[in-house]
Amino acid sequence: MSGIRDLPRRSEAGTSDVASIFDATTLNGRAEVDEQTSRRRLPVIDLVRCSRCGLPETYETIEFDSAGVCNICRQREFRDSSIDWNARRAQLTELVEQYRGRHEYDCIIPFSGGKDSTFTLYHMVKELKVKPLVVQFNHGFMRPTLLSNNERTFRILGVDVLSFRPNWRVVKRLMLETLVRKGDFCWHCHTGIYSYPMHVALKYNTPLIIWGEPSSEYTAYYDYRDDVMEEVDETRFNRFINLGITAEDMSGMISGDFDFDPRDLAPYTYPPVRDLRRLKYRSVCLGSFIPWDTRTQAQIIHEELGWEGDEVENMPPGMYRYEKIECWVQGVRDYIKFLKRGYHRVTQMTALDLRNGRIEKADADALVREFENRRPPSLDIFLEYLGISEAEFNAIVLNTVVAPHRPDFEAITPGDKTWDFDQWYREK
Amino acid sequence: MTSALVGIVNLQMGNLRSVSNAIDSLGFDHCLVERPADLIAVTHLVLPGVGSFHRAMEHMHSIGMYNPIRDFGASGRPMLGLCLGMQLLGSSGEEGESMAGLGLVPGEVRKLDSASVEPIPHVGWNSVELRGAHPVFRGVRTGVDFYFVHSYYFRPANPDDALGVTDCGEQFVSVAGRENIIGLQFHPEKSQANGLRLLDNFCGWDGRC
Repeated sequence: MSGIRDLPRRSEAGTSDVASIFDATTLNGRAEVDEQTSRRRLPVIDLVRCSRCGLPETYETIEFDSAGVCNICRQREFRDSSIDWNARRAQLTELVEQYRGRHEYDCIIPFSGGKDSTFTLYHMVKELKVKPLVVQFNHGFMRPTLLSNNERTFRILGVDVLSFRPNWRVVKRLMLETLVRKGDFCWHCHTGIYSYPMHVALKYNTPLIIWGEPSSEYTAYYDYRDDVMEEVDETRFNRFINLGITAEDMSGMISGDFDFDPRDLAPYTYPPVRDLRRLKYRSVCLGSFIPWDTRTQAQIIHEELGWEGDEVENMPPGMYRYEKIECWVQGVRDYIKFLKRGYHRVTQMTALDLRNGRIEKADADALVREFENRRPPSLDIFLEYLGISEAEFNAIVLNTVVAPHRPDFEAITPGDKTWDFDQWYREK
Repeated sequence: MTSALVGIVNLQMGNLRSVSNAIDSLGFDHCLVERPADLIAVTHLVLPGVGSFHRAMEHMHSIGMYNPIRDFGASGRPMLGLCLGMQLLGSSGEEGESMAGLGLVPGEVRKLDSASVEPIPHVGWNSVELRGAHPVFRGVRTGVDFYFVHSYYFRPANPDDALGVTDCGEQFVSVAGRENIIGLQFHPEKSQANGLRLLDNFCGWDGRC
């Protein structure tokens, strides 16, 4: 395989055809080489995995201790044994009271409609009796069940809602750029979700922003063991949300071949920290104040708000229906993760259940074996959006594989469509 | 919105820009203080400084700011000395020199002991052990690191005025203060999140302990 950081050559400046950033000859040539490489069936590497939850060594921020247990499991132990959650609950009340009734809204609640933000909105309205402004960054892939959940939630809770959907033409170009550079096409979603509500906080003079799940539930960018409140701020944004690419960087990356207005990238730009500081903002996760429990919370919102789960591509039928139902290209994201890192969402979900003692290790391993090597049907739609072939897609992903994992394309089998597949937007 | 106006004394030496940038990023209004009239609207005063105690005091006298700064300190409004600025708060300069300081916190300036501190100056990150709670240290844990660059330190005459200590081979007072006045031997403006937290706390402080 040629240089891992080789980026496709650009065409002449001034063209706006998304596919034209590839030099077709070069890329197709490399794709053929890569296909030959994959056909050689290099031996599959057995990844080192956590002896408790099964997360592999290619997982972001993971470390293993002498017992072979990962740091994510250890910080979870700390969360459950050493954090004074009664004191944390009192801190949340104190924080809310500090801001209540003093601005246009008591707080902003960034909202996708998934289980975490729906529970956060429910908890803040019902338990803490706030008047929130719900802010939704619509990434452009919201599925029918999610949309009807949102509609019901907003009506039952009686809340004001702002929904923002960015320019689709720009979104497609951003997806292609970060797929090529990082093997992660979701930059527009990561950055938009975390920056756009901060702009709204400034516009609506509302300094308290309440997010849902802290990242310490999944990764060790923030560690419960530090016992420091995870602030959802620019530091966190730059640490891992934006994949190391600011909107200013992005502008330079796409300006050679793509015609856009610089303001098109404003939704992905973190607002000036000075402005947020002047507002005396606080941007924190509800999960820093109450212990997060996704399964129980999904049950609560189902009972109280009629919130429905959904099937997700390549997830075991009937299981984890509460997880990642927001986006119809979630299956592609999980598939890329599997190719890059040798695991995907089944491993992550069973890891959570193993930590909670809700599944046996042998059962978890069987699920992983059965469901993680499937090609999602949404890949066809995704390739249409980006205007690339599957060979080009595979070549790009091969460039971002995380060692020591090696993907085995020969072992991939077709996955099943979800019920709403035919309703998803098609470019062709 | 904040109504604080943070004055930064310009003694023509040192780290004015890094201090004003830090305060600016925290969202506070700020201005340079170069003559007595500049102090009228100032709610919080920062006395930064890098270099010689002697030259700094000479310059302060030459621009007619010695008494106005002392008066500001006596007014109850919050005042912060940084590095050399902390040492200027004291009664007198280094041993063997006759130059008097502002006398806002009784005590004298000494040189780090070259027999125990190697090398001098003491440069880099080092921890500060806090002696008790103070509004300027709200939300900052004892034992966290700040950035130091200095060869001298301020020793308060009254042990109660020593609010934090640091060990660099020799233990010295790295935080001192009384009432509305506080001095930091390290550079909060160069000390990342914890340093910014201190500056943020100071700019929001009412001067009472």
